[in-house]
Amino acid sequence: MTVAGRARRRVSPRTRRQIIIGLLYILPSFVLMMTFNVIPIFLSAFFSFTKYNMASPPEWIGLDNYARLFTNRVLTESLSNTVRYVLITVPAQTVLSLLIAVFIAEHMKTRYGSLMRSVIFIPVIVSLIASATVWNIMYQPKGGLINQLLEFLGAQPVNFLGKKASALPSVAVVAIWKGTGYYMVIYYAGVMNIPTDVREAAIVDGATPVQRFFHITLPLLRPITYMIVTLGIIGSFQVFDLVYKMTGGGPGRSTYTVAYVIYTFAFQDKNYGYASAVAICLLVVILLIHLIQTVCFKEKDEVKQA
Amino acid sequence: MKSKKNSIKKQPFSPWVALGVVLVTLFAVLCLLPLIYMIAVSFTDSETLYIKFKDLRPDLYNYWYAIVKRDFGTALKNSIIVVTGSCLLVDIVSAMAAYGFEKKPVPGKEALFQGYLATMMIPGQVILIPMFVMINRAGLTNTYSALILPMVGAFGIFLMRQFMVAVPNELLEAAEIDGCGEVRRFVTIVLPLVQPALITLTIFTFNAAWNNFLWPLIINTRSEMRVLPVTMSTLSSNSTTNYGMVMAGATLTFLFPFVLYVFLQKQFVEGIALGGVKG
Repeated sequence: MTVAGRARRRVSPRTRRQIIIGLLYILPSFVLMMTFNVIPIFLSAFFSFTKYNMASPPEWIGLDNYARLFTNRVLTESLSNTVRYVLITVPAQTVLSLLIAVFIAEHMKTRYGSLMRSVIFIPVIVSLIASATVWNIMYQPKGGLINQLLEFLGAQPVNFLGKKASALPSVAVVAIWKGTGYYMVIYYAGVMNIPTDVREAAIVDGATPVQRFFHITLPLLRPITYMIVTLGIIGSFQVFDLVYKMTGGGPGRSTYTVAYVIYTFAFQDKNYGYASAVAICLLVVILLIHLIQTVCFKEKDEVKQA
Repeated sequence: MKSKKNSIKKQPFSPWVALGVVLVTLFAVLCLLPLIYMIAVSFTDSETLYIKFKDLRPDLYNYWYAIVKRDFGTALKNSIIVVTGSCLLVDIVSAMAAYGFEKKPVPGKEALFQGYLATMMIPGQVILIPMFVMINRAGLTNTYSALILPMVGAFGIFLMRQFMVAVPNELLEAAEIDGCGEVRRFVTIVLPLVQPALITLTIFTFNAAWNNFLWPLIINTRSEMRVLPVTMSTLSSNSTTNYGMVMAGATLTFLFPFVLYVFLQKQFVEGIALGGVKG
């Protein structure tokens, strides 16, 4: 014990030099990470206990901001909108990407299949603002592509973004359009990682494709599904660009989301303290989602080992 | 072995499989349709959206108008500067940090690395307000630095470290014995060996910086410092109904990442499949 301790303490000049060089390599990242990732969290927590408009120094008001959170109609509405948005986008993009990835991996192992994968991925690289702009024009009540199609079919035109009932789902459709390709790529890599002999054995045993999907593919993809659902929930919870460009929160407050509310409280009302309190709550929710995912992962692993 | 593989590949034809192929194809068409529409309208001389063949103008007038008259030229220049700066900074800082973490005996480095990884869970909106205050205080609003410096993140360092493991220690030791200095070893041995990771990281940084919207929106408010998505967002809210010009702007915004995707598709997809990517 003491020998080892002494040996550890006696650092050779060469090792010491290596340590210093190593620190120099890490230093630039350390400075940037501290400045733009770590310090802001603590500042955010601090601001959330203050009244702050940047014109005068922050004024400590204790828990007042938090006390006013749950009575704020704008906030409770935006929270329920955000949850609704998550409940539309996450199941849709998860199921779509899973089905497409598994089908292409099993039945379309051709040039054509890989072309389809490439094409389905293309919306991923379109910026959210460009996507929102294009879909805004497609959703136009007069002459937008979708309403032209409805007219052609003899249906009445729909004001997709102008109606309270349809505005949020219409925004969600754009997110699904843009997100499916991304998750499909992750699922596809997962399916390709399943050993072929596992699937072969099932075929030999006479399992139908549907049985194979539910009894082999789906259980083996479970860790990936956890990851994709978590990434999806977190991504959808932070939706901002689409709402900002497509609806501006309207009509009424029907597409106000948590991220959009933080933006309006902070940068339109200049109420930085209150907005920070909302942001800290968002952080807590997202950390909880991460925690739930980690716990689920652990339980599954233990079941597997047992 | 080969015949076994064929047993999975070649299954008897079934109408269900055919239906699946049709549905996948249909979905792919739906993915492309908005983009085809975007490009078609960008070549249309029309204030209505009912595209007729006589309104199609196969010239670049809408593009010229967007670039020259509607500040898209300035935005394009700003976006290119910010993206180039971001890619260089992120590549250099991430590669250096990954090398330090993986190859140098720094005490406590694993704890620090875990701390870095933990920052990936923080949503952007949480650090937005303090960063806005800090950049304001530092007098860096309406500068390129304000957009470039915050691009360094844990993901890049994590990605580089995954590849840094594969750099053989023996090679570095041999080079040291041969009298190859510390900096030269990093530049001439380590960096070429992790080049695939650098390309993947460059793609991710390119996309993140090119599509970044909320941060540039609040921090660079002067019109001559706006980047493409911000200029894009101001367009149709100006009550213009010049859809051709708006779509030309959207097409321009789409064009650069698309060209990158066409040439580096493998790296795009592999990078995402690596998992744990920040959505």
